[in-house]
Amino acid sequence: MHVQELILRLQRYWADRGCLVGQPYDIEKGAGTMNPLTFFGALGSKPWNVGYVEPSRRPGDGRYGENPFRLYKHHQFQVILKPSPAAVQDMYIASLEAMGIDLSKHDLRFEEDNWESPTLGAWGVGWQVVLDGMEITQFTYFQQVAGVDCRPVSAELTYGIERICMFLTGIDNIFDLTWGEVKTDQGTFPIKYAEVRQREEFELSAYSFEHADLELHWRLFTDFEKEGWRLVKDLGHYLSAYDQVLKMSHTFNVLDARGAVSTTERPGIIKRVRDLACACAKTYLETEAKKQAEVTA
Amino acid sequence: MSDTKTLLLELHCEEIPARFLKPLSVEFAESFAKWSESEKLDIFGILFHFSPRKLSWRFTGLPTAQPDQTETQVGPPQRMCADEKGAPTVQGLKFAEKWGVDFSAVKFEQPTGKKEPCAVVTLTKRGQPTPTLLSEALPKLIAGLHVPKAMRWGVSEFQFVRPIRNILCLFGNEVVPFEVDGVKTSRNTWGHRLHHMKHADPIVISNIESYEVELEKAGVVVSFDVRQQRITEDMKKLAGEVGGQVVEDEELLSTLAEIVEFPRVVRGQFPQEFMALPKEVLVTSLKEHQKSFCIENEKGELLPFFLAAANRPDDPEGFIKSGNEWVLKARLYDARFFFEEDLRTPLIGRLDSLTHLTFHRELGSYFEKTERIGAIAVELAKRLGLNAEHAGVAARNCKCDLRTLMVGEFPELQGVMGGEYLRHEKAPEAVWKAVKEHYQPIAAEAPIPGTDLGCVLAIADKLDTLVGCFAIGQIPSGSKDPLALRRAGAGIIRILWEKGWTLSPMELCRMAMKALGVRATKPESDTFEALDSFFRDRVTYQLEVAGYAGAVRRSALPVGWTNLVDLKARCEALSSFAEDQRFASLAQSAKRIANILKDEVPADVFDASKLQESEEKSLAEHLARMEAASNHGALLADLAELAQPLEAFFTAVMVKCDDPMLRNTRLSLLHRLRKSFLRVADFSLWQ
Repeated sequence: MHVQELILRLQRYWADRGCLVGQPYDIEKGAGTMNPLTFFGALGSKPWNVGYVEPSRRPGDGRYGENPFRLYKHHQFQVILKPSPAAVQDMYIASLEAMGIDLSKHDLRFEEDNWESPTLGAWGVGWQVVLDGMEITQFTYFQQVAGVDCRPVSAELTYGIERICMFLTGIDNIFDLTWGEVKTDQGTFPIKYAEVRQREEFELSAYSFEHADLELHWRLFTDFEKEGWRLVKDLGHYLSAYDQVLKMSHTFNVLDARGAVSTTERPGIIKRVRDLACACAKTYLETEAKKQAEVTA
Repeated sequence: MSDTKTLLLELHCEEIPARFLKPLSVEFAESFAKWSESEKLDIFGILFHFSPRKLSWRFTGLPTAQPDQTETQVGPPQRMCADEKGAPTVQGLKFAEKWGVDFSAVKFEQPTGKKEPCAVVTLTKRGQPTPTLLSEALPKLIAGLHVPKAMRWGVSEFQFVRPIRNILCLFGNEVVPFEVDGVKTSRNTWGHRLHHMKHADPIVISNIESYEVELEKAGVVVSFDVRQQRITEDMKKLAGEVGGQVVEDEELLSTLAEIVEFPRVVRGQFPQEFMALPKEVLVTSLKEHQKSFCIENEKGELLPFFLAAANRPDDPEGFIKSGNEWVLKARLYDARFFFEEDLRTPLIGRLDSLTHLTFHRELGSYFEKTERIGAIAVELAKRLGLNAEHAGVAARNCKCDLRTLMVGEFPELQGVMGGEYLRHEKAPEAVWKAVKEHYQPIAAEAPIPGTDLGCVLAIADKLDTLVGCFAIGQIPSGSKDPLALRRAGAGIIRILWEKGWTLSPMELCRMAMKALGVRATKPESDTFEALDSFFRDRVTYQLEVAGYAGAVRRSALPVGWTNLVDLKARCEALSSFAEDQRFASLAQSAKRIANILKDEVPADVFDASKLQESEEKSLAEHLARMEAASNHGALLADLAELAQPLEAFFTAVMVKCDDPMLRNTRLSLLHRLRKSFLRVADFSLWQ
C-alpha cells in the first residue's frame, strides 16, 4: 500500500457514498477540522458531505525527520457527514475494508475520546477507533462549533494517513513508506516518503524550535488579529477574516513550540483566536439567514 | 395472586463510554423500581447487564396488570342534593354527572370532619394491563436517565449518552410496543460485529430466558462479571507461561471488561532495549496508551512482555498480537525519546522556568512554592537530626520534573520522574529517593515514603499547600475540597503517626505560615483556629483507621492530640482494657466526678489525715500509687483496680458534707484523682 493509493481509495469510497471531494486549504493549520469546508460546513442547517486530505502542521511534534513515528506535518483524511447518518458506524467500517483491511482478522474497538478545540470554540463526543491496539481514526459527533450548537449534528471522521499506511504495510519507520511510483520512459521508480518529505521535516522542525523570530511572531499574531477584526467587523467578510484566524492559530503554535507562551498567558491567547473564529461564524450564519430571507421574500 | 411475568429491556447503542455503563444501569434500575412502586406493581427481582454497546435489565415477578383501586369522592351536603323523599335535586344530578355515575350510585354518609351527611360516590379504578403502562412509561424513563455528557445526533433533539440504534423489549415473551427517538421496539437485537459480517439478520429473542445464551452465540458475553473473570484467568495463564505474574491493577482490569464484548487476552513482547526505562514509565505507558498489563517476576522486575485484551475470541492470523507489539514499540520509542531528551539538561536547570508555572493564583508560582517547601524541609530536617543540606537540595529539585517532557506526557509520573532523573545524575540516594517519594501516600491505603527524608519532603509539600490554602480562606467544607486538602492533611498525620515523630501538627503549621509570609491574606488567628479543628478531625480519622474501639478514641483524644506518639501509646494502653467491665464502672464514676467538680475550684494539696471513712482513705492510697505510676500501662492497671473502691466511695461517702474542711479535702481528693487519669484519657467519655 502506498500513501497516495490510500488517499485515492478513501476519496473514491466517500465520493461513492455521496460526499464531495474537497481539497486541502492553502494556509498552515493543525488539523483538518480547521479547513473552512469543515468549520463553516458544520454550521447551519443545510446538508453537507465532504471528504478531503489535509496536511496538518504541529510545530511541537517536529523531530527533525529523525523520529520514525512523529512528524511536524502529517496528513489527515477528513470526512464530514451532515446530518450524521444512522448507519455512520457501518459506513466507516466499510471504508476500512475499502482500504484493504480484512476486519474478519483484526480487532476493532471504539473507545471513548471526546474532542475539543478551544481555539475554534468547538467540541464533540465520540471515540478513537482502535485497530489491533492502534488509534487509526478520530470519530466525533460535533455538538458545538464556534460556540454555536450544531443543528443538525455532523459526524466527523479523521483518518491518520501515515499511521494507517505504516500499519497496513508493517513498516516501522514513516520515512520508509512508499509515497507512490513514478513511471518514465526509462522505467518505474518507487518514491519513498523520505524523498518527498524528510528535508522538509528537518527544516521546519529547525525553524520552529530554533530559527523562528519570536518577536516577529508575536507581532504577526497581533497584526493578524487586527486584520481579522477589521475584515469581519467593518466589512462583514467572514472568509478572509477566517484566514486570519488560521494564521493566528499557526503563529501561536510556533510560539508555543518554543516555550514562549507561559501557562498563565495561554488561555488568554487561545481566547483571542477563538473570539475571532466565533465572530466569523456568527457573521457567516447571519449572512446565510439574510440570503434565506431574500429567497423566501 | 395475580399472574406475573418477566420484563426484559435492552438498549443497543453505539459504543457507550466505559465509565458510564454501570452508573446508567443502576440509575435506570432504581428509577424503574420507583415507578413500578408508584403504579402499585410489585417487582420480585432486578438484574442488569452492561457491555460496550448494550444496557439490559431484567425485572422479574412483575404482575400482568395493576390491582383495581377504589377512591371516594365527597360532594355537597345531603340536604342540597336530594329532597325529603330522596329524589335528586339539580345539584344532586350534577354531582352524579360529574363523576360519571347514575344518581342511584350516590350514597349519603357523614364523612369525618363534616358536620352533616354528604353525597358520596365510590369509584373503582380498573387496574390497567402492565404492557399498556410500560408502553407509556418506558420511553419517559429512558429519556429521563441522567447522562453526564449527553449528546445529540443526526437531525434529532433527543439526547442520550450515545446514539440508540435498537431497542428490544419483551414482557413475558411479548413485545412491549413503544418508540424512542424513532427507534421502535421489537424482539430483535444485534450481536458482535464479527458475527454480523457473516450473518446479515438480527438475533431474534423468542424466549426471554435464552437472551444471554443467544447473545453469547452471537459473540457477546453480556455479563460484566463473566468477562472480567475470563480476562483474569486468561492473563494469569499467559503470564505463568513466561514465568511471571501480572502486575495487578484493579482499575485497568475493570476498564478492559467494560470495553470488550467478547474478551480474549493476547500476550505480546517488546524489545529488550526498552527495559532500560524506569519500571514506572513502562507500566504507565502500557496502561495509559495501550490499556495493557505488565508482567513481572517474583522479584518484582518487569519482563519484556505485555498483556492486551482483544474484543474477539481469536487471533486467526496473529495480526492482533503483532499490531499491539508494533504500536507499543512506537509508544516506547516516544517514551525513550522523552527520557533521553529530559536527561540532556540537569533537572535543576528547570528551576528558574518554574517562575512561569502557576501553582495557585494567590499562592504564586511553583518557584515560590519550591522555596517554601525548602524552608520547611530544612527546618524539619534539623529538628529531626537529618541531613539539612540534603533536604534543601531535594526541595529545590522536587518540582522541576513538572517541566520535563515525560511528565508532560504522563502527569501521574510527577515526583517519580524527578527522582529517576536525579538518580541518573548520580545525586545522593537520600535526595533522589526523597524527590521520588514526596507525593506519597497517594491514597488512603497506599504506603508513606520509605525514607526519612522522603517523609520530610512529603510533609513539607503537603503542609505548604494546606496552610497556604487555609491562609487565603480556601478551607474545605462539606463535599467541597477541590484541592484535596483533606487527603493532604491525612497524609501528614499518617506520616507522623507511622514514623513516630513527636512534632505537633500545629507546630508544623507555624513553620509553614512563616514560610508563607505575605502570601497569607486572612488573619493568622482565624487560620490557626481552622487548622486546629481540621487537624483534630484528621487525627480522629487516623484513630479510626488504626482500628481503635470507639470508647478508646472518644476518651483518649480530648486530653491531647497534638503529640501523636503519646496519643498512640495511650490508645494502645487503653485498647487492652477496651473490654474490661471495670472501665464501664469507672466511666460512670468519672462522669460523677466531673459533675461534682463542675463549679468547684479545689486546691491541689490536701491533708489525707483529715479523711474519715475507710472508703476515702483507701481511695487516697490508690491515688498515691497512680501518681507514682511511670507509664500508661501501669497507670491503667491501677485505674482498673480503682473502679471498685470508687463505687464503694460514692456509696458510702457524701462529698459535699456540711463540714467545710472535710468537704474541701474530699473535693481535692477527687480533683487529684481526675487529674491523674486525665493523663491517659477522659473516662467520662468512655461510653
